[in-house]
Amino acid sequence: MSLYPQSQAYSQAPYPAHGYGQPVPPPAAYHYPPPPVQPVFHVDPSIFRRDYMTRLNELTINSRPVIQSLSMIAQDFTRYAEIVVQCIETHIRRVPAWMKLPAFYLLDAISKNVYDPYARYFTPVVVQLFLETYEQVDQDTRRKMEEMLLTWRTGAPNGRELFGVVPQVAIERQIWSGDQTTASSSRHPSTSTGISAGQVLSELDFVLGQRERALQSNSYDKTAQNHVAVLQQLRKLVQAGVSQPELSQILNQLRALAPPAAVSSQPSPPPAAIPSYSQPPFAAPVPAAYPGPADHVTHPAQVQSPQSPYPSTFDGLKHEPVELPALTSQTLPTPTAAPAASAAPPLVVNNITNLYNALLKAGVVSASATPTGAGATAKAEEATENVDPARAAAREHRKKVLSQKVKLTSTDINKQRSEIVHFLYQRLPTQCKQCGIRFPEGSTAKKNMEDHMDMHFRQNRKAGQAVGRGHSRSWFVSVEDWTHDGAIDGKGKGRANGSRLVTSSAAQAAETAQREAELRAMFVVVPPGDEAKSISCPICKEPLKSEFMEDDEEWVWQNAVRKDDKIYHATCHAEALASKTSLAVRLRNEVSSRSRSLTPERRMRTTPPRVAIPLDGGAKVPGSPSGSPARSSTKRKAEDDETSGERTPPTKKLAAEPA
Amino acid sequence: MSGRQHAEEPQSEAASAGARSREWVLEPETEYRFELDPGTSLIIKLVCGHAEIFGAELAEGKPYAFGSECKGAVYTWQGCTLEVIGQPSTEYISEETPMSAYANVHMALERMRVRALRVVHGSPPSSNEESESDGDPMPPRVLVLGPENSGKTTVCKILTNYAVRMGQGWSPMFVNVDPSEGGWAMPGAISAASLDSPIQSSSPASTLGSTATSAPMHISSNSLVPITYWYGHAETRRNPLLLDRLIRNLGENVAERLDNDAEGRASGIIIDTPSSFAASSAANDHRQTLIKACVDAFGINVILVVGHEKLNVEMQRAYGNRITVVKIPKSGGVVELDAGYRERVRKYQMHNYMYGEVIEAPAGLGAGYLQAGEQTPDLTHRLAPSSSQVAFGDLTIYRIGEETMAPTSALPIGAARVVSEMQPLLVDPGQPGSALYNAVLALLAPPNPDESERYDEEVLDLPVIGFLVVTQLDIPNRRMTILTPSQGSLTGRTAIMGSLEWQE
Ligand SMILES: [Zn+2]
Ligand SMILES: [Zn+2]
Repeated sequence: MSLYPQSQAYSQAPYPAHGYGQPVPPPAAYHYPPPPVQPVFHVDPSIFRRDYMTRLNELTINSRPVIQSLSMIAQDFTRYAEIVVQCIETHIRRVPAWMKLPAFYLLDAISKNVYDPYARYFTPVVVQLFLETYEQVDQDTRRKMEEMLLTWRTGAPNGRELFGVVPQVAIERQIWSGDQTTASSSRHPSTSTGISAGQVLSELDFVLGQRERALQSNSYDKTAQNHVAVLQQLRKLVQAGVSQPELSQILNQLRALAPPAAVSSQPSPPPAAIPSYSQPPFAAPVPAAYPGPADHVTHPAQVQSPQSPYPSTFDGLKHEPVELPALTSQTLPTPTAAPAASAAPPLVVNNITNLYNALLKAGVVSASATPTGAGATAKAEEATENVDPARAAAREHRKKVLSQKVKLTSTDINKQRSEIVHFLYQRLPTQCKQCGIRFPEGSTAKKNMEDHMDMHFRQNRKAGQAVGRGHSRSWFVSVEDWTHDGAIDGKGKGRANGSRLVTSSAAQAAETAQREAELRAMFVVVPPGDEAKSISCPICKEPLKSEFMEDDEEWVWQNAVRKDDKIYHATCHAEALASKTSLAVRLRNEVSSRSRSLTPERRMRTTPPRVAIPLDGGAKVPGSPSGSPARSSTKRKAEDDETSGERTPPTKKLAAEPA
Repeated sequence: MSGRQHAEEPQSEAASAGARSREWVLEPETEYRFELDPGTSLIIKLVCGHAEIFGAELAEGKPYAFGSECKGAVYTWQGCTLEVIGQPSTEYISEETPMSAYANVHMALERMRVRALRVVHGSPPSSNEESESDGDPMPPRVLVLGPENSGKTTVCKILTNYAVRMGQGWSPMFVNVDPSEGGWAMPGAISAASLDSPIQSSSPASTLGSTATSAPMHISSNSLVPITYWYGHAETRRNPLLLDRLIRNLGENVAERLDNDAEGRASGIIIDTPSSFAASSAANDHRQTLIKACVDAFGINVILVVGHEKLNVEMQRAYGNRITVVKIPKSGGVVELDAGYRERVRKYQMHNYMYGEVIEAPAGLGAGYLQAGEQTPDLTHRLAPSSSQVAFGDLTIYRIGEETMAPTSALPIGAARVVSEMQPLLVDPGQPGSALYNAVLALLAPPNPDESERYDEEVLDLPVIGFLVVTQLDIPNRRMTILTPSQGSLTGRTAIMGSLEWQE
């Protein structure tokens, strides 16, 4: 009798020995009626601990199957996550130095693939464990640990630090700067002082490894060729010795360059990493860091499969194999038959350009000659012309879509295999855990994702507050509003390929954050005698928080403004104001367009002229109580509305003025 | 993760409370299909892997609730494990799905979108862009035709959902010209709305998402703002001429909106149609006219025929020279629906419009489940309509071209009992046999305030801003009680009645 009776899901898994997964008949016959309720098995925790420890001891070399098997068990027994974490920690501490790295790869695999709760449980111990191990191992192993550490920067499903910022920074600071004074809470702390050439080289190799792989997968990829050439130059430059400021500059550039690529080379968030179990589970989605012994490239092996979490699925079934270049195209320059000019996403090229400029400045390359390979200079120049990442993203998408040769014919529809999974899942690695909506990579998308999460938060807050007030179905809008909604909406909602969001989303985000902070810092002094009084904001109905200001020896309401003898949350008031402003902008547009002449053919049609619908004033803006149209509630934010006024007003063809 | 643990211990909380909890392991490219009996509900949780319901991806670990005789399918491209709680009347896993074909259709439509957007952006063609004969790439404007129970609506949903999931900010226009379905509005209506997030599925009361309410929603397809026209009947044959006109009105508005939104225009249009469009019979010769109305009104350039060879041939013959006509396979999961079921779904839709709908989770499960992707359905999905009394004269009510019930006094002078199909006839609530009691009325947008712009049949061309139900008729006092979705004065307004009746 097997110790851990397997669910049928793993019945085909190739675990012949160890009594792990008794061959159960494959789940082929899944037709009606359904299989009976799965029986429940209880495994005693102490037996589990003993068994897991025993298995861990088999992890003497960097063996993928053993790591996979141990990951699977961890995944199946998340209720014993603490035991798993303890076992691995104990194991790493007590085995000889040469056995530690494989165990770290296991830690890495479980944390990335299963993520919760493992990453959480490893967090308290990972810094000490990493640093202790790093002390004890040889140079070669250290290099591999550094590579792994780099992948942790973006190893969490949301693209953030796998174990959080603090542990990440703590480890990086220790192993690279060795300088305790550089302590900083920023995400990339060591950009100011105390950067060692070793650290830069390590990160350089990481990026270089990625680009080299891109090149391997498509040797005609001119952009990758250039990247590799430039990076190699840069490597020589650093090895030869450069100044602190230069190191810092290079490091900054590298980091600007690395994250997107690093994210893509990670297995996607946990769901992605757990594909079908029809094939040997974990055949593909092994996390980034298992350089096989024969792997001569400095960078952790990522090419064979982890780029795509699903290749086993594809191989094993009737799918055509997914081509690697296709999978890497989102982050790495797209291999294409097109001349290199249009190949690279400008964002990336831009960074390379900066790197290149750094090289220029350092005198390693000259502007006239191009020692880094033909075309590098030309490319750099071209790249700076296309600065609109949204257009670039749309172009990338177009290329990728057009490379799918599916025609609208019966034959194609029924015979072809499109890379639909790539389009629907893999290319959009970030997923909202609340509603399942996915986002592409990149800073714009990150901003969108943050807005999106913010929306969930707000809507939940609003839903909770509205208890008892009662909701009702809104009246539909007038034709006027409806036909012009698209245009307004197109601005307000932030299309992924619209130009609004991307002009400078980072700057915009910073601005928003600053504005929010400023608003929150506003206060109203509580009138003497009213300290005990509880007042609430007329907009959100939540009480205003009062606080005693030590310096001024006064009670104040925080995040508050007084308007017309009412006290509002400063944030609520600003939001209401913003939406009012946007409404005003919209009305202004309408008025101005109404003065235009009528188009005769429009007047001929059967549909009569439109009028606004004042059904007790409620019809104009349906939806949420805040007054913003409900339909765009998932995306629209106050600051978006403000920008909408700057755009071309919608052209209007109608001129019916309501009484 | 709690989901798995829970599934491994079904005997504990859920089972003891009477709910059945099981895990289903789905191979890649298979789907779990289920059907619910009236009054039952189901919870589905994605334990691991990836899965989608009619093209809308599920979030992992979230319990999704289904109710109101929902017939659904959870499809997986990559394989997944589902936890299912509740007692469907039917459930099984199918390996035969048309999803690969639908994905190909989507990719082909996506080609059209990206090429159309390129023109909007004024970008030069890529080198891998074959030069095609038509110089001006058009966005996909797709008419989906098919017989009853062929899964047309599902096809439309999947194609729409895949479009919005491309991460390109597409906002395809979803048009429903099937009055028996009602879309987001009410049975008897045809409407259009622009979608920018996947349409969720939880109940046939809101198959295509929901229109906006005053409640905050997380998913924008649950607070849609449609443009709606009122046909008033479930069957297209009842007044094809009227339907024809309304389809053209709808097309006009959609065209105007897309004129104002070049990028939205590139997203394309997807149109769901009544099954009568596919049923050739002597009694149904209006269907060609109505198909033509759609083709003209929306500038259709793709016709998808779901699993119907004869219709495919017919469409090829009629439109093949200028429109791409493709037959696509029908899903084996589509269930034969009887008249009784359709009748009940209409009732669910009407109730959902006024009262909202909160799916009660299977016994023993607390709150904390998602309904159509919304996190707190108990707070946001319960709606409170208003009921108010109005004098007969306050609200002007018409019926369109229905001679059957109209008393002679309502007829135009000199007219016999033959009435034009497009004739608006005033309904007198005081007359016995007005059939107003329990009738569903469409409240129209106000007519043009400029008298010189008015015309006889104007009420045919006014869109709907809401639906009303006459819940009481007090003929002696010439007053009636009217149920409205929200508050608002009806005085001086115009409403149209059809043949649809409110059902308690
Ligand atoms: Zn979300
Ligand atoms: Zn407030």
